[in-house]
Amino acid sequence: MKALRLLRRSGSVLSPRTRPCCFIHQTQYRNPLPLNIFRLQSTAPAQYQSAIEREDDLEPGETEPTEDFFHNAPTQEERESILSQLPSPHPQHAHKSARLSALHARLMLPPRLPLETLARCLVDPSADIDPHFNNSSLSILGYDLLGLYTSEAVLCRHPRLPTEVMFAAMWAYCGPKTLAAITREWGVEVAAAPGGEVDPGYLQCKHIEAGNASVEGTGVQVKDLPILATDPKGKPMLGEPGWRRGVSSRTVKSDHFGDEIKRTVLDYAERPELRQEDLQRKLEKGVTLETASTNFVRALMGAVYLHAGKKAAYNFFKAHILSRHLDFSKLFEFRQPTRDLSRLCAREGFESPVARILSETGRKSRSPVFVVGVFAGKDKLGEGSGSSLDEARIRAAVGALKGWYLYSPLEVNVPSQAERGGNWEPVMVDGGEVVV
Amino acid sequence: MPVQAIRTTSTARNGVGAFILQCKRLDFHYCDHWGSSKGMNTFLRSPLIARFAAAHPQIQIHISPRPNTHPIIRGLYINGREKVICVRNLEKEQILQKAELLRDANGEKVRRMKGGRLVGSLNESVRGVWDPFHGGNKEIIGDRIVSS
Repeated sequence: MKALRLLRRSGSVLSPRTRPCCFIHQTQYRNPLPLNIFRLQSTAPAQYQSAIEREDDLEPGETEPTEDFFHNAPTQEERESILSQLPSPHPQHAHKSARLSALHARLMLPPRLPLETLARCLVDPSADIDPHFNNSSLSILGYDLLGLYTSEAVLCRHPRLPTEVMFAAMWAYCGPKTLAAITREWGVEVAAAPGGEVDPGYLQCKHIEAGNASVEGTGVQVKDLPILATDPKGKPMLGEPGWRRGVSSRTVKSDHFGDEIKRTVLDYAERPELRQEDLQRKLEKGVTLETASTNFVRALMGAVYLHAGKKAAYNFFKAHILSRHLDFSKLFEFRQPTRDLSRLCAREGFESPVARILSETGRKSRSPVFVVGVFAGKDKLGEGSGSSLDEARIRAAVGALKGWYLYSPLEVNVPSQAERGGNWEPVMVDGGEVVV
Repeated sequence: MPVQAIRTTSTARNGVGAFILQCKRLDFHYCDHWGSSKGMNTFLRSPLIARFAAAHPQIQIHISPRPNTHPIIRGLYINGREKVICVRNLEKEQILQKAELLRDANGEKVRRMKGGRLVGSLNESVRGVWDPFHGGNKEIIGDRIVSS
């Protein structure tokens, strides 16, 4: 497989950025170092950001009045007031933050990932709406990468997993709740409020107001406000947003976890103003800590991919996400396991399953135990024990179904290893669950 | 209804993939006047502290005066707790040992491990839970257990 040229594609992320407020910065926050004049968001290390690059309109021949710098050097208060005008910390400050470099070392991030980018990953769109300075673009990339790596890891290890369980496994590995937990376990602290003067080592987002906070002047809680109260409309109809479709259509039309996508690419293509509206709403209302942490982990994944390449990104994924513990057999919930098992046997061409008592004790006592096996012809498919015959039979059927669905091959190859320099080998993916 | 799924989260196993050092920050406090800070002041001027900081880039090191008190080292941990050790009248090597102790701690309260279960596992046992209905059945004859 041909490898993608990363640098060519990531140029837009890796180049220095400025914005109007950086010019305010330039005029007010004069400093002898040209680097400090404008705000660089960037991802290449600072020393490579050439000192010759200039933001002003001076002709090359003209010289700046350097002596003015020293006479008009801003006082500490002036600097602070200028910094607090910025919505998120100046990228220049990334190298001054002990918290940020400690985080970089703690996560054992590749040295090619500069601190500026790590700082950018920590800025949520609700803190800074400018896409050049927040983590929105990186988190989109990270979301797709996490989805790719997790889905192939789950599906290649358990090729017969039912679709619903597959979605649940994806959610368990890289769902928002897990990513929020990962952020906590990494020791990332959250800033009380975002701003330019905040240490760049903090996760910055605008917090959404708690549902049980009381609205000022009234005795009402936020969640009880009429605009937020749930619609008494009832279940959504076919085709309306929120309508639950079948599992197979969800594999195509939903996100990685089988949930409905609120705004699809098509929506944005039809009404481009929607994107701005959504961002504005986020900026005004704020986000939950879970959302901000999720965006941070995804953005970091994307940043590792862009700066250090595929191998480093996969290693990062393996070290922090895939190494987590998940018991797949606890994700199943069967409604009628005996019926599912007989349908499965019919599909696979086994004889229809029969339950037989293997052993029992204390039938007439208050705590009897029955051990029941489910047999297809001479093969025992599963076994279960229970205090009634039905309970034991159902447990045996569940055991047999789990034994089938949780099959795992001895040697696991994932398709993306071909991208990282391995050989491409086709993987077996089975038919999945039975349709009943 | 066909098979449904239950949403849970995966649990972290620190050290299986990446190892995250649980100590986030170490604060060293000293006093300029009190004699109990003598060892701490030599420690802070010696290359020991610089070497310690360079060896542990994942720990933030803060050094600040705390006048007219004994010198202390405070460790802050990922779980939000903190541990404080008073290092009055200690030599610089002893202070380094205390710093290493704080580095290696995970911030949990010190508890006695009870019940002899010092090693825990999230994985199911390979042999399974013992049950009386499988394997060789035994008979008790007199005071002896015999396989039947």
